[in-house]
Amino acid sequence: MTTLIFVLLAGLAVGSAIALVVQRNPLYSAISLIGVFIALAGLYLTLAAPFLAAIQIIVYAGAIMVLVVFVIMLLNVEEEEHKPLRLGYLTAVAVLLAAVLFGEAGFILYFMGNSTLEPPDPNMAGNASNVGLTSSIGTGLFTNYLLPFEITSVLLLMAIVGAMTLARRVGLRPTDLVVPGSQVLPRHSIDPKAIGDATEVESSTTDEARQLLGLANAPRRRPEE
Amino acid sequence: MPGVSLSWYLALSAVLFTIGVAGVIIKRNAIAMFMCIELMLNAVNLTFVAFSSYFRDVSGQLFVFIVMTVAAAEAAVGLGIILAVFRNRESLDVDDSSVLKN
Repeated sequence: MTTLIFVLLAGLAVGSAIALVVQRNPLYSAISLIGVFIALAGLYLTLAAPFLAAIQIIVYAGAIMVLVVFVIMLLNVEEEEHKPLRLGYLTAVAVLLAAVLFGEAGFILYFMGNSTLEPPDPNMAGNASNVGLTSSIGTGLFTNYLLPFEITSVLLLMAIVGAMTLARRVGLRPTDLVVPGSQVLPRHSIDPKAIGDATEVESSTTDEARQLLGLANAPRRRPEE
Repeated sequence: MPGVSLSWYLALSAVLFTIGVAGVIIKRNAIAMFMCIELMLNAVNLTFVAFSSYFRDVSGQLFVFIVMTVAAAEAAVGLGIILAVFRNRESLDVDDSSVLKN
């Protein structure tokens, strides 16, 4: 029974992961990734880790993927077009290394497959082990691993500040009218000659701003291919 | 009731991680590459939880907790970077953002 559940969940995880890579529409990729997360949450349950299974659904499938889907829809991402891979002779090297990797994995599975470790009991009935329960995780988090926990909180604070710095619009006053899709940029970020000139230019794209300034044929600040 | 051996969890984790690496190499869309990185983080999480359960030691699950926090922070900052790049270039194709190269 446990084996059957494992095979089903593993198949769901691997199938969703392959779909994630094969899909060319990012939104379908995101939905496949949610499938992987749910399958992994089920696997955590078979490993007697109910707290992590719940966290997996709430944090990953709930919070992170909602953020990703939100950004995909906000940016109106188009489908990827086919482009040839520029690998050349590296393809042969990659095939060789993949064969070595699969050989090693098969060797370990074949010779070490019969691990002497007892599998965990998902029911935890009459089992002295309470490793996956919320209480033992909380105890560990606030005793032996208090310092990593505090560092985590500092990391989250840095992430908040960094995300706000990266995503905010430059030079926008609180009274400005924000047109969806447009942005206000200081002039020196578009015109290389106007260093120090912070006059604001509002337009929906950088190219449009360049045309507004009469710079359509002038050299770009950032050279592009 | 015969349980599943530890090796099978590790093999599944290796397969998921490999698919994630292949996705990062193949994909050209920044958001798709980001999702493949999340897949790799989850594969490592599965290894942590499998070892933690089989060795009856809670440390592995605590590290999964911390990895999830890092993944959340990475999602916030990474999507902020993607938004900033999209605003400057009107494209998410990583081949269009090759100015740092050379």
